[in-house]
Amino acid sequence: MYELDATADVLLMRPQANAARPQKDETSVEAVLVSAALAGDRDGFGRLYDLYAPLVHGILLARVPRDEVDDLVQDIFLHAFRKLNTLRDPEAFGPWIAMIARNRAVDFHRRTRPTVEMTDDLGGSNTSDSRATEILELIRTLPDAYRETLVLRLVEGMTGPEIAARTGLTPASVRVNLHRGMKLLRQKLGFTEGL
Amino acid sequence: MNDDYLWDKSGEPDPEIQELEQILAPLRYQPTPLEMPNELPVTRRRRNYFPLLAIAATVLIALLAGGLWLRFRTEESIPPVEATIVPSAPSVKEEVVHNTDLRKKVKPVRRHTKQVFTNYDREEALAAKEQVMLALRLVSEKLKLAQRRTQGASPNQIKNQHKVG
Repeated sequence: MYELDATADVLLMRPQANAARPQKDETSVEAVLVSAALAGDRDGFGRLYDLYAPLVHGILLARVPRDEVDDLVQDIFLHAFRKLNTLRDPEAFGPWIAMIARNRAVDFHRRTRPTVEMTDDLGGSNTSDSRATEILELIRTLPDAYRETLVLRLVEGMTGPEIAARTGLTPASVRVNLHRGMKLLRQKLGFTEGL
Repeated sequence: MNDDYLWDKSGEPDPEIQELEQILAPLRYQPTPLEMPNELPVTRRRRNYFPLLAIAATVLIALLAGGLWLRFRTEESIPPVEATIVPSAPSVKEEVVHNTDLRKKVKPVRRHTKQVFTNYDREEALAAKEQVMLALRLVSEKLKLAQRRTQGASPNQIKNQHKVG
């Protein structure tokens, strides 16, 4: 019985482990880039920005108004550059900057008054963009863990293993979040008007 | 429901997810260069010196405590000075105390060390002792006189009362 369970676990976990393996090289690249940035190499930090800006963008897009996202991405990376010496494990740059982004989003809502986001409908611009904003608003009504994972997957185009490797979450958690979040989103979309 | 496409874009594509991806594509991150000001200080890894300082302080305190302990210990354990007694020297104590009334009160001094007295030392000690005894007698007499004056009674009465009481 135990042997059967163990075998089943191994079989279930193997594809996830294999999927996460290609990220290993990238992680070591991060460590090299962090070390270079700490040594004063601004280009090294620029490459970290190129690698992780989509992640930070996605995390912010799931939480703050769309117009504020780009400025906040810049602020977060400048803050990270100043505080890079506090990062103990260079391999954990992704989880570290993801946490900075989440905290910055919380700060943003604490400091600013609640406002109504201006949609592109008011300007009479194209409808596909307004539809995108509408769906994004629906995603934002989902629980934190689901909306962040869904935005990273559906908006930023990252795969589940990539999300796991960059955010530091386990592949199993990301898979569950994606599955449950998508289920809730489908319900909301079907409840409103459908695709 | 097979969610392989949702997970890693493998397997049969889910049309709903594909449509969502297309709709949400305009919101995707548009690469923009990071604008880093020139005066932004380059961060360097600062070494944490706290553990080293803590270790150094502990060692220093231990050394100080050890030094103090050794000092007290050496002060306590100074070996006694050993000396030899010259057999011909007479016992000063026996001779002097023999003729005094304080004989019973004076306890013999226990000496841990043996000391050597020369004749000169002995004479000097005897002279000093005589002076001390004389001073003691004087003080004793003065005390008795003062006692009489304060109580106004004769010394005999006091003595008798003392005996009765």
